[in-house]
Amino acid sequence: MNTIQKKIWMLATVVLFIMVSIWLAFTYYNQKTQNQYNDILQRYLIMNEVTSSSQKVITDLNNYLLNPSLANLEQINVSQEKIRYAKYEVYNLVNEENEFALTNYINLIDSFIETTNRSLMFQSEAEIEASAKEFSEATRISKYISEMTLTVIDSELKTYDVLYRGIIEQSVEFKKLGVWLLLLIIVSLLLLTYWFSLTITRPVHQLTKAANELSKGRFDMQIKVESNDEIAFLAKTFDHMRININNLISEIQQKAQLEHELQQNKLLLKESQLRSLQSQINPHFLFNTLNTLSKKAYLEGAEETSDLLVSVAGLLRYNLKRLDRSVTLYEEVIVLQQYMEIQKARFTDRLEFHMDIDESCLQMQIPGLTLQPIVENAVIHAIEPEEDGGSIWFRVIDGVERVTIEIEDDGVGMTEDKIKQILEERLVETEGHSTGIGFSNVVKRLRLFYGYDDVIHIESSEGRGTKVVLKLPKVRRIENNEKAPDRR
Amino acid sequence: MRKIGIIILCFVFAILSYFTFVSAEKVFNSDFQPPQTSAPNEEQYRLVLITQELETPFWDKVGEGAIKQAQKEGVSLEVWGSYGNNQDDFLKKIEIAIHSKMDGIIVQGLDTEEFKSLTKVKSASSGIPIITVANDVPVEESLRKTYVGSDQILAGKMIAKQLIADMGPSGKVIILGESEQEYHQRQRLQGIQDVLKGYPNVETLYAETTDTKEQVIAATQDLLNQLPDVDAFIAVNANNAGAMIQEIGRRSQVEPYHIYTFDDGPESLSLLTQGKLDGMIEQSPEKMGELSVNLVMKYLTDVTVPLNMDGYLTDIRIVKATEM
Repeated sequence: MNTIQKKIWMLATVVLFIMVSIWLAFTYYNQKTQNQYNDILQRYLIMNEVTSSSQKVITDLNNYLLNPSLANLEQINVSQEKIRYAKYEVYNLVNEENEFALTNYINLIDSFIETTNRSLMFQSEAEIEASAKEFSEATRISKYISEMTLTVIDSELKTYDVLYRGIIEQSVEFKKLGVWLLLLIIVSLLLLTYWFSLTITRPVHQLTKAANELSKGRFDMQIKVESNDEIAFLAKTFDHMRININNLISEIQQKAQLEHELQQNKLLLKESQLRSLQSQINPHFLFNTLNTLSKKAYLEGAEETSDLLVSVAGLLRYNLKRLDRSVTLYEEVIVLQQYMEIQKARFTDRLEFHMDIDESCLQMQIPGLTLQPIVENAVIHAIEPEEDGGSIWFRVIDGVERVTIEIEDDGVGMTEDKIKQILEERLVETEGHSTGIGFSNVVKRLRLFYGYDDVIHIESSEGRGTKVVLKLPKVRRIENNEKAPDRR
Repeated sequence: MRKIGIIILCFVFAILSYFTFVSAEKVFNSDFQPPQTSAPNEEQYRLVLITQELETPFWDKVGEGAIKQAQKEGVSLEVWGSYGNNQDDFLKKIEIAIHSKMDGIIVQGLDTEEFKSLTKVKSASSGIPIITVANDVPVEESLRKTYVGSDQILAGKMIAKQLIADMGPSGKVIILGESEQEYHQRQRLQGIQDVLKGYPNVETLYAETTDTKEQVIAATQDLLNQLPDVDAFIAVNANNAGAMIQEIGRRSQVEPYHIYTFDDGPESLSLLTQGKLDGMIEQSPEKMGELSVNLVMKYLTDVTVPLNMDGYLTDIRIVKATEM
């Protein structure tokens, strides 16, 4: 509930404020002028009142002198009261400049009242002559009062001349002020509206631009809106969305990479199968033949030969069956033993095979035909060339997270280059392997299966044997990887 | 482009603000200060100086002196009067002054019945002190408190002596007086005649005229016809000197004649500087103004009661055309 509403409020408030202040100023001016006019009129009216009421007194006095009735006397009293009141009003008009004249004026009114009173007194004492004389004097004074009223008004005019001219000038200036004010308000409202619309439209514009960029597929540009209103909030969420999309895209790319690797994996498997098919033209025929040979040998009493043939047949079957799926370590160990029996029959005393297995690890999953090729590799390179033969150690050691499988021989060892070639999967085996699966193939499959490179180590130095260490995690990191080959 | 627009708009805004502000200031700030209102100051004495001859050099000086003195004394004083010897207006002013209950009236004396009745009856009955200034009216006729001005007899004497000194002990002199002789003119005439009496060879012709210009001219013509070989003129009423000299000038050169008058006429000084007058009695109008106010105040504040009825005389001296 922040700022766009606030801004609208602010604009409205400013406009309201301008309007109110103009209204106040105009009202103030109006009031002031009105007061001035009232004051001026008041002054003149009061003075006029003096003149007219003095004349009224004269008329009433004349009436009374001609016809001394009570009603006429009452009339005189009323008009006298009037002129007294007018006199007190005149008191209020006194200022520094007209003090002398107005004092005279007031005294003149006093004299007038006194004279009329004297006239009345003489009348009541029946001194008609004296009364008439006072009456004529009163008439004269009344005339003086009217004259003096004129002169006082005249001097008033002179005193207030500046004021009157000022009022006229002010009213002229007031019109100008109106025009200026109108122009000022127009310009200031233009400015204000421009600023206001800018604060709203600029973030929207920025946002639009950012949206355009996004729609063009540029997800790496940061969306930045410099404001503090709802648009900024919108921009922030928009930016979050952009980042999420970005992440998603990279994830998809990673997946694509994995997919690709999987494809490769399959290709390798195919290659292995092809190799084994090539080397054993008809495995089932061979397998059946081997079984028949075994039984024959057994019947002929050559039990050892029979066992050997069984081992070969098992190995062959395993080779045919298990290449493309994961098996337990136990199955692998069995195959390895069968293979070693065959090799022992071949090398007799020259080959010594030691096994040291932690039974608790035998249920873990590993890719089929991984241990046999490595051991075979050891046999080929450490036992075959040596006249005295050699020893091969096979150990399965349980770890906390991993199971360590060591295959060690005491042969001639490997060069650094060779190790590197193996680990970088560049070595191309050509011959010698019974299953047709070489070391590199194993390494590749292990890595693909477990999802990380650090699954195999080779420790070797020339003349001192080779030790291949597999560190296999008990829990596979990428579950997908396991399923992927099964999904076929 | 948009920036330039904004800058121009801001600029216009500033200019408009300035003009609006200036205009508003003019509208709402008038520099008029109304006079300070004050209750009528009852304590302050109000005096009035009333003359028949406003705006003549002589009476201007009297007024100046009076106003100066009034300021010094801290009383308010106004100079009222009529222009050009308008007696009705003059008397009306006096009446208004009395009805306005002035504290003191300083007035140029006028030797008429109306004046006397005003001063005697009205002002005395309302208790307003009256001081005559420059021209006197006898105390028994006007009930004035005192007189401030020149010793008019002495003035007449001085002018006559000057005449003798200029003309010599024999000759013909026309004295132009006024038909409605006022007190001060009578005094002047008396002074002149007192001196000339001592010179039997000096023949004087006294004539009277009213103070309208036509009358003065007619009288002068008449006198010149009666006395073609006249040597000197004295205009007792200074107001008549101008018209008289104008008429003389129409007949002949003015220079050969010895012409004298007093300084309380409107043209006296200019005639003297032109050399048409040979001599003039110069009074002390400023001193008169000052002294009269001073004396009224002394009377009102009870410092000097009663005032000297004979009057307080101010200096006079004769000014000759040759001195100018």
